[in-house]
Amino acid sequence: MEDMLEDTVLVNLRVNGKLHELEIPAHKSLLDLLREDLNMTGTHMGCMTGHCGACTVSIDGRVAKSCITLAATLSRAKITTIEGLTEEDGTLSPIQQAFWDEAGFQCGYCAPGMLMCTAELLESNSDPSDSEIETALAGNLCRCTGYQSLKRAVKAAAVKAKEKAS
Amino acid sequence: MSLYPAFARPRDLGQAAEIMGSLSTGAMIIAGGQELMPSVNYGALMPEVYIDVGQIAALKGISEEAGAIQIGSFTVHRDVQNNDLIQSKLPLLSYAAAQIGGGMQVHNRGTIGGNIVAMHPLYDILPSLLALGAEVDVLSDVGEVRVALADLMKDARHGLGSESLLVRVHLKPMMPGAGWSYEKLKITAGGYGSANAAAIVTLDSSKITSLRVVVGAVSALPVDMSDTLSDCCGQAWSAHLAEEVEARSSAEIKEPLSDHQGDGEWRRAMAGVMARGAIEAAIKKAG
Ligand SMILES: Cc1cc2nc3c(=O)[nH]c(=O)nc-3n(C[C@@H](O)[C@@H](O)[C@H](O)COP(=O)(O)OP(=O)(O)OC[C@H]3O[C@@H](n4cnc5c(N)ncnc54)[C@H](O)[C@@H]3O)c2cc1C
Ligand code: FES
Ligand code: FES
Repeated sequence: MEDMLEDTVLVNLRVNGKLHELEIPAHKSLLDLLREDLNMTGTHMGCMTGHCGACTVSIDGRVAKSCITLAATLSRAKITTIEGLTEEDGTLSPIQQAFWDEAGFQCGYCAPGMLMCTAELLESNSDPSDSEIETALAGNLCRCTGYQSLKRAVKAAAVKAKEKAS
Repeated sequence: MSLYPAFARPRDLGQAAEIMGSLSTGAMIIAGGQELMPSVNYGALMPEVYIDVGQIAALKGISEEAGAIQIGSFTVHRDVQNNDLIQSKLPLLSYAAAQIGGGMQVHNRGTIGGNIVAMHPLYDILPSLLALGAEVDVLSDVGEVRVALADLMKDARHGLGSESLLVRVHLKPMMPGAGWSYEKLKITAGGYGSANAAAIVTLDSSKITSLRVVVGAVSALPVDMSDTLSDCCGQAWSAHLAEEVEARSSAEIKEPLSDHQGDGEWRRAMAGVMARGAIEAAIKKAG
């Protein structure tokens, strides 16, 4: 039985397209892996209890809070972080540009959750209503904007994403 | 023994049973981690071994067999919300799963199994599962047994999470024409409610022919009011019956919770309000 227990765990993660093979302790969160092992500090730490959303990334195409995701459970997952949203030439994606244009953030601490959730929302809904936007962003707290500019930003992002697609 | 927790990744149910049988109670099953990890990060919990059940195919998938619907314990809330079979045959459950807080991120990773095993008073799935008369398969090193969820919850030695594994949930489809409702009273912007109720009602003309009502978030475990209120059957809904339902449901809450979701006396009162509201809303949908 002891042979079924591992003290450290080997994980293969594709982060923003790049493959990483890492030997990690079993208790490590995906957030700590990204920030400490890969030095990718765009994913923020706000609470470590799943409440604020600042640590949001996408795992195999679905948003998740990386502080409450055990990295060892993710072997061979595809992760996209906020750094991975930019276009290949380094310019802002339509969603990022819309948040910039509409002042969708001030300090930017909540940006990972707001942007990653918007990206997932717009994949299946090109014209979201106010209440659909509220549901999509419900897992994220913003201490600066008062949420109105966030809603504007998501709507502007929907328009930009449609323009880009057509 | 290492200072850090160890990790086990059973590939199938056989390996899972073997591992659970051989480890001490410091081992903990992890599914989505949405309940476990906040406690670990907060310092309230320190598993010695994580048993990752995410690789076990038998815990996944939603299917219909012999007139019943099976939901693998590793099914995430998002899939319970959006699955066609659940939406058409168990609409109460898909609606209740959508009322879970924490946002899309928690819906994408939190599992139905983790939600059941946590048996947390403020969680949203148990009242509906109890109202639907769910049964569950539980695996331990002595084999797999099928039990009514209501009985499992009364068994303090179920060992779920370290010595036994919830494999799947069995549910009978709701009767065509049955009305249903899940009411969640929220007084804060956070995810959790202060009282809730799931109800399923069938009618003949305007008379109630069957009634299932379970009230949650007001005591340590959800309270099934169906027996207490069974004499509603045969009657038509009226202002008088509604008042009676409210008073009798509140009276059933012997030890109300008093926490940051509200104080005990108020929670007891809200138990009645939710039961009444859920039945009323279910009756409107029945037909
Ligand atoms: C910010 C936030 C808000 C939330 N709001 C709500 C809400 O409003 N309503 C609500 O209902 N929930 C809420 N949740 C709780 C959410 O964690 C659960 O809904 C989720 O279902 C837990 O599932 P999991 O797979 O992540 O469990 P895990 O954390 O992996 O496990 C939970 C427990 O179950 C055990 N376990 C897991 N799977 C099995 C299995 N198959 N067999 C035996 N034991 C098992 C584990 O050992 C552990 O003890 C919230 C969570 C967060 C972080
Ligand atoms: S840091 Fe993960 S939700 Fe706050
Ligand atoms: S912009 Fe500061 S927290 Fe949202």
